[in-house]
Amino acid sequence: MNMIDIENVSFAYSGKVEALKNVSLCVRKGEWVTILGHNGSGKSTLAKLIVGLLKPQTGTIRVDGVELSERTVYDIRKKVGIVFQNPDNQFVGVTVRDDIAFGLENLQIPREEMVERIERYAKRVDMYSYLNKEPQALSGGQKQRVAIAGILAMRTEAIIFDEATSMLDPDGRKRILSYMRKLRDEGVTVVTITHDMREAVQSDRIVVLKDGEVLKADKSENVLKDKETLEQSNLELLLPLEVLHGLEKKKSTNEELKEFLWQLSLNG
Amino acid sequence: MAIKFERVSFQYRGVDDKGYLALADINLSIAAQGEFITLIGETGSGKSTLAQHMNALLAPTEGRVHIFGVKLTSDKKKNRKQRLNPIRQRVGLVFQFPEYQLFEETVLKDIIFGPKNFGVPHEEALERAKKMIQIVGLDESYLERSPFNLSGGEKKRVSIAGILAMEPEILILDEPTSGLDPMGRNALLKVFYDIHEKLGKTVMIITHDMDTVYEYAKRVLVLREGALVYDGEPPGLFSRKHVEDWNLELPEILRIQRALEERFGIRLEKNPTSRKELIEALGEVVM
Amino acid sequence: MNRIVIGRYIPGNSFLYRMDPRTKLIAMILLMVGVFLIQSFLHMFVALALVTLILVFGRLSVKRVYLGLRPLVFLLMFTFLFQVLFNRQGELLYSLALHYTILNLSLAFMVVLLWGFTKRFIRFRLLYFLGAVVGIFALLHSISFGVVLGEGTFAVYEQGLSTAFFIMVRLIIIITLSTILTITTKPTDLNLGLESILRPLRVLRINAEEIAMIIAISLRYIPTLLEEANKIMLAQASRGVDFQEGKLKDKVIQVVSLLVPMFIISFQRSDDLANAMEARSFVPGQERTRLHILRWSKLDTVALACTSLALAGVVLLRVVGW
Repeated sequence: MNMIDIENVSFAYSGKVEALKNVSLCVRKGEWVTILGHNGSGKSTLAKLIVGLLKPQTGTIRVDGVELSERTVYDIRKKVGIVFQNPDNQFVGVTVRDDIAFGLENLQIPREEMVERIERYAKRVDMYSYLNKEPQALSGGQKQRVAIAGILAMRTEAIIFDEATSMLDPDGRKRILSYMRKLRDEGVTVVTITHDMREAVQSDRIVVLKDGEVLKADKSENVLKDKETLEQSNLELLLPLEVLHGLEKKKSTNEELKEFLWQLSLNG
Repeated sequence: MAIKFERVSFQYRGVDDKGYLALADINLSIAAQGEFITLIGETGSGKSTLAQHMNALLAPTEGRVHIFGVKLTSDKKKNRKQRLNPIRQRVGLVFQFPEYQLFEETVLKDIIFGPKNFGVPHEEALERAKKMIQIVGLDESYLERSPFNLSGGEKKRVSIAGILAMEPEILILDEPTSGLDPMGRNALLKVFYDIHEKLGKTVMIITHDMDTVYEYAKRVLVLREGALVYDGEPPGLFSRKHVEDWNLELPEILRIQRALEERFGIRLEKNPTSRKELIEALGEVVM
Repeated sequence: MNRIVIGRYIPGNSFLYRMDPRTKLIAMILLMVGVFLIQSFLHMFVALALVTLILVFGRLSVKRVYLGLRPLVFLLMFTFLFQVLFNRQGELLYSLALHYTILNLSLAFMVVLLWGFTKRFIRFRLLYFLGAVVGIFALLHSISFGVVLGEGTFAVYEQGLSTAFFIMVRLIIIITLSTILTITTKPTDLNLGLESILRPLRVLRINAEEIAMIIAISLRYIPTLLEEANKIMLAQASRGVDFQEGKLKDKVIQVVSLLVPMFIISFQRSDDLANAMEARSFVPGQERTRLHILRWSKLDTVALACTSLALAGVVLLRVVGW
């Protein structure tokens, strides 16, 4: 069963060239899919389309089998949450507690249950001791963790990370990456949108976008090693895989070394 | 020395007069030519505060900063008596997310804004704009466009061109490549390296990216909780002790090199400092 | 900067902190109305004393609150002087002949200049200012020789003095009351209280929840935007903008170089924020449950009863005409 189905979707911002051209892709339930692409490849537009913040000019989007329309969009947002790029521009509450509560208040969750969920999910992202803190007292990475807790508290089935680590420092980025891994292990469907290969490396499948078109969609291993495709989309191979690529070009038969380099790329 | 810090400390005045020490007892000097420096440190370690001292946006609360002959101390009155504006022409500071400082109707007007503030004649400012837009990797057709219709990467380049057009002797950039895709980042780093190599200027980049430190820098400064704990060449920084004590990420080149050495006993004769060099060197050894 | 208490929440613990924000809002309004109805000196002093008592029992530092009013001293003095100088009703209490001659006008002018130059080195500026004002009047009164340009009188009338006094004390009390409210109430709670009080306005098609949401988001983003403005100022200063100096024409460009980026950032932010809110199932106008709820306690009933009584007392005094 697919969590997200995108079929022949095209989209253009008013008066501009098409941001997405006839894009089709799917995300299975419980899967971690990375959408890779250069700046301006249309990857963030795709995220906004999935949760109905933008409307495609052509094509259909289905979430959990339900076609996205003006009538179904509110139900779909209960199933798919999204963490945006800028940690500062999505923190609605005056404190961490208020911010996690925001989505729950919208879903009209009773107060007692709200309190219980806030505490539980703040613990899940290790922000429990920060519940009364104001956003000014938090780092970018901590704000993103609060955003994750806010979505988890709404009990969505899928969570999209729209360049959610691009404004963070290395520690913040690693931390968010570890939560992505945890979520997938717990059965949550994860979609990460990024141009950072280190974020792509752990996912199950990768879709590469270039200028609004799908260049390649395949198992992660096959995409990560595909120098040609990646470079076409302004991306670069992870260094161990670049070395591996060099070895293979020279027809090296040292399988042990090759496997070692592959492992090295996975825990970068 | 163009910039010299003598026992510089800086304290931010916080709520209820409880201060926050952003810089602690810093000594360093930077030459006006030929340096390529990276400044690293965790978030909140004082990197941006240090940079803002270098073009007199901030003055120390203790110690002395000398910038091209101008002395700044904690004496605000004395500082104010000196003309600080010329310093900002000689030490160009590019803030993080410089795209937010764009405000003119055209790219051209925005690029000449800085030079004209420093009294550069209009004709010359135009000439500089034409030159600098190319140096940052865009062509002249961009000059007549509105800066607000550009992509994020293009905006970044335009705003950097605006600082370059001031013809600073020292160029300081605060996380200039954040948010760019790999090719965009590499291209921009190449621009900075060219400015250093071809124009002989001193360039300092504030970054979190150890690959940038290892591949480009000739000198690296490390700040930890406001103190300068390392000032030297990059290879020396990544000794096992420093990496452990300061919780540093290893540059990819070094990480791979060390892993291969540990597992397969592969030793490289000379230390490669670029991806290409590493692949070539490994190719020779492994084949 | 840090000593300003007006409009700031300062964490603490006293009955004022435990009161429901609605109570505090309503009580403040009742007391303010009361203060406007007071007409006798004695009652005014009693009111001032009572307000000070609230501070004491509420465990707020009296000194801190009144010193915090310092930024308003000039406003208060101005109102006072304005009333004293221009309100000429009632009995004449004091008059002083003034002569405007070339000599004393130029001397007065020099006093002003001297004051302007030296005030930054003086510790007690307010006293110094008063001294300068008295000095000028003394000059205008005592020197009457030379070319006389005109004659005048400085006169203080009973009505002027009392009106000036009433206005000043009223202002002090009102500002103190609102300071008590903001010091002891978190902005979020204040907002919640406001929302609750405004709710009956639904009849007039005013949506209290939306207003509260707008206020909450503004509160949330004001510090962020200030920080942003500071960053842009520094960035433009690095491009040679000298925010301290410059001719009028330069000033205009300086302001534009700050405002255009601020507008763009704010629009970007509000766009992002709207998206983030919508994505988290926010639908404007739709019913929501609330994490924070206001709890009415016995304390609130008592407090409201006391303030109502106080107001009733003032009304009674006014009707009886004491």
